[in-house]
Amino acid sequence: MKMSHTGIRTAAIVAAAALSALAAAPGIARAEACTIRIGAVLPTSVDWGRPIAATAQFAVEVANKAGGVNGCKVEMLLRDTQTQAKVGVDAAKAMVDIDKVPVILGAVSSGVSMPILTSVTVPAGVMQMSCCSSSTSFTRLAAAGKTKGLWFRTFATSRVQTSMGAMLAKEKGYKKVAVFYKNDDWGQDMVKLVSADLKSVGIEVTAAVPINDGQPSYRAEVTKALNPRPDALYLALYPKEGIAVVREWISLGGSRKMVVANSLKSDDFRKGVGIKYLGDLVGTDTSSPRTKSASAFVELYKSRFKKEPNGPGLANSYDATMVVLLAMQAAGKGAGGAAIAAKVAAVTDPGGTPVEANVDGFKKASALLKAGKTVNYQGATGAVKFDRNGDVSAPAVVWTFTDSGVKETRYIALEDVNAFIAKLK
Amino acid sequence: MIGVVSYLVFFLTIAAILAIAVLGLNLHWGNTGLFNGGIAAFFGMGAYMTIILGGTPQAGQFGGFGLTYPMALAGGVGASGLLAWLVGVATLKLRHDYLAIATFGVAVAFESFVRNTEWLTGGAKGLRGFERPLEAAIGDPFLFNLCFLVFVLLVLAAVTYGLGRLIRSPYGRLLRAIREDEDAARSLGKNPARTRLASFIAGSMIIGTSGGLYATFYAFVSPDDVLPILTFQIWAMLIVGGAGNTKGALLGAFAIWAAWTGSGWVLARLAPVEMQLYTGTMQYILIGLVIVGMLLWRPQGLLPERLVISQSGGGAARRSAQSV
Repeated sequence: MKMSHTGIRTAAIVAAAALSALAAAPGIARAEACTIRIGAVLPTSVDWGRPIAATAQFAVEVANKAGGVNGCKVEMLLRDTQTQAKVGVDAAKAMVDIDKVPVILGAVSSGVSMPILTSVTVPAGVMQMSCCSSSTSFTRLAAAGKTKGLWFRTFATSRVQTSMGAMLAKEKGYKKVAVFYKNDDWGQDMVKLVSADLKSVGIEVTAAVPINDGQPSYRAEVTKALNPRPDALYLALYPKEGIAVVREWISLGGSRKMVVANSLKSDDFRKGVGIKYLGDLVGTDTSSPRTKSASAFVELYKSRFKKEPNGPGLANSYDATMVVLLAMQAAGKGAGGAAIAAKVAAVTDPGGTPVEANVDGFKKASALLKAGKTVNYQGATGAVKFDRNGDVSAPAVVWTFTDSGVKETRYIALEDVNAFIAKLK
Repeated sequence: MIGVVSYLVFFLTIAAILAIAVLGLNLHWGNTGLFNGGIAAFFGMGAYMTIILGGTPQAGQFGGFGLTYPMALAGGVGASGLLAWLVGVATLKLRHDYLAIATFGVAVAFESFVRNTEWLTGGAKGLRGFERPLEAAIGDPFLFNLCFLVFVLLVLAAVTYGLGRLIRSPYGRLLRAIREDEDAARSLGKNPARTRLASFIAGSMIIGTSGGLYATFYAFVSPDDVLPILTFQIWAMLIVGGAGNTKGALLGAFAIWAAWTGSGWVLARLAPVEMQLYTGTMQYILIGLVIVGMLLWRPQGLLPERLVISQSGGGAARRSAQSV
């Protein structure tokens, strides 16, 4: 069947009309005094990627409500990576070359962040801040001096989670633990670290089973882990696969004792599995020190999105964006990537004035930074402080599920986390 | 202005690298009629082997043999040729859909292998530590990108010229004969099985070259680079451009990559702020519409193959044929 010429012409006209309607729609060309732009390259076409991007946009909204950065409105250019390296790198290159952004937020998977870092941001002297790339390769790259101080990530090293997970398993007296892990760079890192940590405390890892995304059934994987009859599970999974695996596991009679990473600190997971099966589950997470700033972010998020900020990468994404915007404020108008990167230390100075992660906090911080003082940003993931490789470590918190959400049961200060890690070696 | 030029250089480099892969697929499908559903495996083999052979030694990572760049690239090309030989011997007895499924299975197995064999391929975190050739010597990043673009264009030109000569040669006619009517070719004493295998290996080595250049440009490769979406992209480029002719393959590569990246840029520019979160999903829809639209408009491809009918008779035979 051949489509007639008039048919194609009509389709083309309709498409052109739709595009111009989009262009003419309100909310695009607003005449502002000045606008400064940052770029964000995030997997918005993936279900778990969209909330991460939404949280980054939310941080920009908060900054704009507080008066913007250097008196200008902040605009975040958002491009999708489609979790493909070549698409993400192209998007980042377009934003760096054509839109001339001084900072790129992104990406999530290390397989996309790494080529962006090596072929776009470092050669162009643009700062790159990732909320969620977990691979240890970045630490090695930075230690070798290849990132020129332009790379940062608000993703606390997985070591904090796994060492605390091993500590909890030991305290609860588990002797044999099976591990389910997401088969990507983060999950593979987690399983390596947690297996080593569990072994160090004398617990046997009976099975380490990779879970690939989007499979219709995980029965084979669950059966493999079930056979040696472990006392408990360690889960390094995202909510969607976590729900499928845990439901399969429980229905086949697996133990309900579980230790999980912060990726499963999610309402979706709690509702998908059912609270009556999650009584013996404990989770780990990185946290803020016990100040009211932690709840400040949660309240702010809840008032905007009408739900708790539970989900992989949300708090990290918020902090990543806020630190970038505060550093831009400190570096002054028209500063380039390297100048902004140099000011990150001024925003996360332990000796500086503590500021909260909300509108008032941003206003206070802006004033202090403009006066040349330093601040100590108290973020959603904690008192963020980067080491010389752009990594963060943080205090830990232990949590469990309740009927309506999540309850934090224990706080472990940073010194104690580090001491425990040192003991494990 | 310099920013736009810098971006265009970058864009053209990737488009040219993908165009080399499309030329390899054109040899498979356009010339020999082999439905290769496993492009990602040969691309990935070229990419991974180039980085393993040419990379600098990295802690906790296999490889880093530090060979010179031409050796590393040649190793990558050779490895994809070897993989093609193994796959071809196993699967080329199959036809059409069955060959497509079998080769697709090979690609999925390859991706699974590189994702899980952490000690060899770095697993999901990929392989890094590749020093791009002459990057330190050139110094300026823009100049390096420009030089690399010139290098890739030279490789593309060489492959285009080589394939063009091949198609116009007796060997090219043999490939077309096998594509159109295998029994007739066999009845003339040709060996279709061996010819098909040779064509499969040659096309896969071209795809492997593309993979090697890709890995060189990013100085990094990970399992996310060898997902089935890559096979789809190369196929879309060939079909839209016009299977069976070199110019069509090249045009398709540049057109589809332009549509793929351009759609993202256009949506980011034009979509209202409230819709920004959904531009990623809309981009997929837009890409699909572009491909479907192009195929509805010109199903034979932008530059269709001009069928060459070998006439040894000359003018008289043609005139008598026309009058019939």
